Amino acid sequence: MLISLLVFLPILFALIVLCLPVKMVRPIALVLGTFEFILSLGLLTAFDKSTAALQFVEKIPWVPQLGINYFVGIDGLSLWLVLLTTFLTPVIILASQESVQKRIAGFHAALFVLQTAMLGSFVAMDAVLFYTFFELSLVPMYFMIGIWGGERRIYATVKFFIYTMAGSLLMLLAIIYLMYASKEVGDGQMSASLLDLYQLRLPFLAGQLINPQTLLFFAFSLAFAIKVPMFPFHTWLPDAHVEAPTPGSVILAGVMLKMGTYGFLRFVIPLFPEAAEYWSWLFLLVGVVGIVYGALVAMVQPDMKKLVAYSSVSHMGYVIIGLFAFNAYGVSGSLYQMLNHGISTGALFLLVGMIYERTHSREIAKYGGLAKALPIFTILFFIVTLSSIAVPMTNGFVGEFFILLGTFMASKALAGFAVTGVVLGAVYMLWMFKRVFFGEAGALVKDHHHPLIDLNLREICVMLPMIILIFWMGLFPNTFLNYSKASIDHFVKNKDNYFLTIAEKKPTDLNAQVTSVLKILEAKK
Amino acid sequence: MNPKLLQDLLMIAPMAALFLISLIPLTIKVINFNREPKAFFTLIYGFIGLAFAIGLTASLEGTKKTAFSNAVIMDGISVWGSYLVYGITAVSLMLAFDHAATRGKQFAEFLFLMVSSACGMVVLLMANDLIVTFLGIETMSLCLYILVAMSKEEVLSKEAAFKYFVIGSFASAILLYGIAFIYGTVGSTYFPEIAAAAPKLINTNRLFLVGFAMVILGLGFKVAMFPLHAWAPDVYQGAATPVTAFMSTAVKVATFASFLRLFNSEALGSAPRILEIMQWLAVLTIIVGNIAAVMQDNLKRMLAYSSIAHSGYILVGLIAAGFGENFKWGATGVMFYLFSYSLMTLGSFALIALLEDKEDIKVNVQNLKGLAHHHPVLALSLSVLMLSLAGIPPTLGFFGKFYIFSAAIEQDMYWLVFWGVIGSVISVYFYLRPVVYMYMSEAGEDSRIKVTHYQTRFALIASAVLILVLGLFSSTILQAVQRSVENMF
Repeated sequence: MLISLLVFLPILFALIVLCLPVKMVRPIALVLGTFEFILSLGLLTAFDKSTAALQFVEKIPWVPQLGINYFVGIDGLSLWLVLLTTFLTPVIILASQESVQKRIAGFHAALFVLQTAMLGSFVAMDAVLFYTFFELSLVPMYFMIGIWGGERRIYATVKFFIYTMAGSLLMLLAIIYLMYASKEVGDGQMSASLLDLYQLRLPFLAGQLINPQTLLFFAFSLAFAIKVPMFPFHTWLPDAHVEAPTPGSVILAGVMLKMGTYGFLRFVIPLFPEAAEYWSWLFLLVGVVGIVYGALVAMVQPDMKKLVAYSSVSHMGYVIIGLFAFNAYGVSGSLYQMLNHGISTGALFLLVGMIYERTHSREIAKYGGLAKALPIFTILFFIVTLSSIAVPMTNGFVGEFFILLGTFMASKALAGFAVTGVVLGAVYMLWMFKRVFFGEAGALVKDHHHPLIDLNLREICVMLPMIILIFWMGLFPNTFLNYSKASIDHFVKNKDNYFLTIAEKKPTDLNAQVTSVLKILEAKK
Repeated sequence: MNPKLLQDLLMIAPMAALFLISLIPLTIKVINFNREPKAFFTLIYGFIGLAFAIGLTASLEGTKKTAFSNAVIMDGISVWGSYLVYGITAVSLMLAFDHAATRGKQFAEFLFLMVSSACGMVVLLMANDLIVTFLGIETMSLCLYILVAMSKEEVLSKEAAFKYFVIGSFASAILLYGIAFIYGTVGSTYFPEIAAAAPKLINTNRLFLVGFAMVILGLGFKVAMFPLHAWAPDVYQGAATPVTAFMSTAVKVATFASFLRLFNSEALGSAPRILEIMQWLAVLTIIVGNIAAVMQDNLKRMLAYSSIAHSGYILVGLIAAGFGENFKWGATGVMFYLFSYSLMTLGSFALIALLEDKEDIKVNVQNLKGLAHHHPVLALSLSVLMLSLAGIPPTLGFFGKFYIFSAAIEQDMYWLVFWGVIGSVISVYFYLRPVVYMYMSEAGEDSRIKVTHYQTRFALIASAVLILVLGLFSSTILQAVQRSVENMF
């Protein structure tokens, strides 16, 4: 029940928020979002680290005629992404107080619906259910960019919607194909359950395009590559990010891009192992190109938000090469990097949003000398910058180190190129930092009519959890990695023959506890 | 009276009851020296008739009987299709009552014509014989020609009616000509006998092939299949909105059901050339409809082109049913899609009807500016309908497409489905445009709805709610459709 509760409570929240008077919306939404986060921590306590099997499973027939079920579960691959989603939502609600001023109830309702869609896609273990949530996530995001976005918001949001939809419809066809193919395994019934689809052995011909496994592989890959976004399908991202309101950017970079990489991890590689292995060179190559290209383009951006957006393209390139290195280092690094990117890029967008609220400009050239004017802001920005360029002791280092280690084992040459991305990342981030915070005071900073005010308590409260996580994840990565270790080992070991089982219910559920307490009480009597 | 005739009459009782009750307001008017009875009472008579019809149809459900020496059958498809047609008629009457273009001195006639047209559709649904099919189509169409022309002050409606009438007559002639050819070669006009004779004739007998193609064309005209789609935008735009809502949905339900009966033959499996042509027609219908819709500002024209595109999707399911191995699954997809399409389209037209407070008004997409500001619930409902038309899960429209595509993929028709997908992607653009205007532009005065029309508002909101709820529980509808297709001759 816990998962369903987590997934569908936000819908209820959205309805509650819509009914509230405008003044009450923000505090109540914050309380509800925090409640959801605390509830999701229940997953951590109940999660069994020692097994790679699916936990908290729920399975109810949805369209039994076609073997489609409401089938959800969590394993080590999805656990942290679920928590990332529930963690970022209250942060975003708190952060949106300045940047969202109109239709406040509608904004929070959209945010909660988006949360449902994102959580749903991370826990769905049925291909059609996953597709439903995956597509559903477009709708609230579409409204978010389109209503609360910047000047060119309509262009950006329509582009975002159509681009993503175009990719995922081919995936829908591939899912339908797999469902018919699933008649061959199991009991001869159609099934959209991933556990059944994993057992399919699709015919594969190396070196040829026209064979089922390769075509299906590319149909799925296209959908996720657009979502990630991988070079050269990234063009929607800068537009969407620049036009989106700060909270939208945070959720887009923080969670929605991960739906793409998670898709590779959950669907593409396990379902089509031979094709994935054969075409891994392509993805490694495109990943490395994305890293370098994203970094180079980020370097020349005059707009801070666009710079961060292109840095996303670069960072997501790491995740891709880590996944397609097919070893434990690469995959766990990728999983870790997904979380890192959610935290550090999310934090960067929050910070850029905070300065934008003060000056209404994101143009780097207009700044300079901010360090003197806004000391607290500068310190926080510096910490996040360090995390983004993967300095040791911050979270970014752990992820990129693992990924590069994994890539090095897979291909030394590509790892060499990928490393240049780390250097380039330092270049664009630090250069931007220098231009914005040091040097002579820029036009906006020395404008005495609008003196800049440092971060207030609310904004510090927004940033504090992010900063804590940056160091926590950087210093004690094992707190996080331990939970996914079993799943990742299982994933790497059985890569060519992936399967998942459903964990047996542990006896430590509520009933057992109650009976044990009763027994103790009886014994005392 | 002999018992056989009584039994036969019982089969057509729903339709007959509906027809007779729809005559009452008209009769009252005539007796009353041509004074129009109160529109509300006229509407009530219409609803009573529809309630009778639905109740009687329900009592016949699952019978699978024939009547009038096999010319008329009552099977799952006719029952399911009749429910749809009656439902659509009810909603269209709700939109028409009070609407600027149809209110006034002729509502009794209006009701009679619309109900007669619905009766024609039910005849078409029950037809097991090409002649009866022709009768059904003509009854349906003749009433529609007048209905289109009935919007009094509108010049466009006269033009539309005339266009529709002239081209429609051509199509009927072609259909009849095709029937003659088929009768000449098979020696019968019964669908089962045609289906039985077809495997031998279809690849050898040119005359039969020509006749078959002509029948397809004649039916294809009614559903606006490419290249017979050109009338649709003009007629849909010219007709009063309730009439457009009626004809863009109910006509498709009836005609596609008839298509299913025609295609329910093993012969088509061995006719690759017809398959090839049909595939091209379906693909072009999808592409032409979607691309043309992108360029429309007028909402009714946009929906007209979108209805052409949706005909294309249904054709995909029809081809999967007719030319593949698994007729039933394809037919299920078609019938399910017709249901979801009707619901979405009626709701969308309900919103257009609300924006028309005068007779000669044109509702453009720009008129929706800021609708979300003035009428948040209506705007949200239209957004749901648009997203459903675009096929975004978990709406009913998504599942409609899902079942049709899955039927086609089962028959390995990837090429066809691929184009369906391309069409869907294009369609997202123009279905999102109203949403953009409603939510993302500054509020304009145009979009303030000046009329109350509670029943139209109700139709809009109810269709949106149904689309969401039935989308989530689509398996129940699917089961009902499957049962009706199982129960087909």
